[in-house]
Amino acid sequence: MASFQVLKKAVSLGPTVRTLSSGVPHAPLLNLAVRAPHDHAHFDPQAPRSDVSPRWASGTTKLGSELVSRTFVSSSPSVHFQQRTMHTSAVVKSETPDWSTYRTNPENTRALSYFMVGSMGIISASAAKSTVSEFLQTMAASADVLALAKVEVELAAIPEGKNVIIKWRGKPVFIRHRTQGEIQEARSYDWKSLRDPESDDVRVKKPEWLVMLGVCTHLGCVPIGEAGDYGGWFCPCHGSHYDISGRIRKGPAPLNLEVPQYEFSEGDEKLVIG
Amino acid sequence: MGIGNALYHGIFKRNSVFVTTVFVGAFTFGIGFDTGVTKFYDHWNKGKQWKDIRHKYATEE
Repeated sequence: MASFQVLKKAVSLGPTVRTLSSGVPHAPLLNLAVRAPHDHAHFDPQAPRSDVSPRWASGTTKLGSELVSRTFVSSSPSVHFQQRTMHTSAVVKSETPDWSTYRTNPENTRALSYFMVGSMGIISASAAKSTVSEFLQTMAASADVLALAKVEVELAAIPEGKNVIIKWRGKPVFIRHRTQGEIQEARSYDWKSLRDPESDDVRVKKPEWLVMLGVCTHLGCVPIGEAGDYGGWFCPCHGSHYDISGRIRKGPAPLNLEVPQYEFSEGDEKLVIG
Repeated sequence: MGIGNALYHGIFKRNSVFVTTVFVGAFTFGIGFDTGVTKFYDHWNKGKQWKDIRHKYATEE
């Protein structure tokens, strides 16, 4: 009880720290290095005090006459940290959901997928093919042109040693029924020395029938039959002489008279040109 | 499943086989399509085409 009385004695102490008008504590003549008397016996006076936190954690310093107290260590939160999401009712699950019931097995569907791709390819390839072939068919000769492209000649009407001129594709065609003497003459000549060397064999299919295009190879006039120096054809325009096989022998023409495609039909009764 | 697997391993697995099959299939499909359409056309126009009524007008030579 007595000690309580002692403590109740009022002692008036002046404030050690005054606050400036700016709010900064003002403490002139404050000794921060003062030690408690009982520390002195055990410790070095320069050693840090054990009853205050170390200097690197926090501490009070004097900046001129101003007192500055700083704490450098941020302490961990004292309550247990918990993730709060936008809605407190949401449940955070730790694993991804199981979608396997919604997935299809690629083993089962890939054959169908590739089949669809292949069918598409088949249809487009055939479409492309028919497009191209239809386009190419537009370039083919039409039926009326094809009907006029061939000419039939009755051979029985042409006597031996006579010429016949017919029109084929707008051009004259000479048909000569050659005599045996003319055949001999055409065959015996040394054709290798000619301007356009061609044997009589390759120019006729049957020796008695000579079929030629009646257009001079020089500038396109129509030669006159049974005329000229060689008993064949003579072109009146510039004087080209063709022999009895239609080969050029004299004059400006560079080539022999052209032989069209022809064939004999119905047992040599008819000649089809074209 | 069995047919699908056989198709996959037989045709689709190698691209060369796949493409060849597509082209061969396009060829046969083209022929089959033409034949089918022609057959249907002839059936649909039975008795109207010249080849059906030719015997009425053409006299044998």
